[in-house]
Amino acid sequence: MNAIADKYAGQNIGSIFLYSHEAHPGEIYPHLTSLDQKFRHARDLRDVLGVTRPILVDSLDGECHRAYGSMPNMTWIFARSGLIVYKSDWTDAHSVENAIQYFSQIPNRRQAGERLAPFHVERLDHRNQDRVQFYKGLERNGPKAVEEFRKAFPTG
Amino acid sequence: MDDLLTRYNYDSFVPEKFEPWMNFEASPKTGTIGPDFPLWNLDQTPTRLSEIWSQHDYTVVEFGSFT
Repeated sequence: MNAIADKYAGQNIGSIFLYSHEAHPGEIYPHLTSLDQKFRHARDLRDVLGVTRPILVDSLDGECHRAYGSMPNMTWIFARSGLIVYKSDWTDAHSVENAIQYFSQIPNRRQAGERLAPFHVERLDHRNQDRVQFYKGLERNGPKAVEEFRKAFPTG
Repeated sequence: MDDLLTRYNYDSFVPEKFEPWMNFEASPKTGTIGPDFPLWNLDQTPTRLSEIWSQHDYTVVEFGSFT
């Protein structure tokens, strides 16, 4: 997602990361109990995990995150007016880039004189499930996070 | 800490604690204006989601956390 943000920044496409709540709390990165802790974890997202996009922090009770469905790693795309043009319950870089490529053509198509009308489309995309990386992430959070995920999803 | 803060910031990844928050089906629809909320930059200065989306033709917002 960082690479996509860099790739399309020159085409007037903005990208941010919005910090929500700890999906898999562990001993090292436990559940959030204060805003100071939330900012600390968000800074670690930048410094440890290397998120290079601007990171914004939601309120401690996740007011924004909850209003958008509170999935652990979802992606939304907004037009400049605030119009929601894409929503995805999980984040997949291929799916996001595909959407950006489509939407970034719209201003050019309008400039070329096309008369465009919006319509809705539903699509079932597929994301890459890299279990090795996922479990490495859980281990970073602490052994509790690994154990709880294995219990919740024994075949995962 | 009140009940909402405790429930939202659950302390264990167990179905009875995380499943109630997976509400994508009830989230705002495409083609509507997204609800606006206050947010904070990493230096703790305030901003809003609408300030973010108004800066570019399109803005990608990824929600998530360290864990």
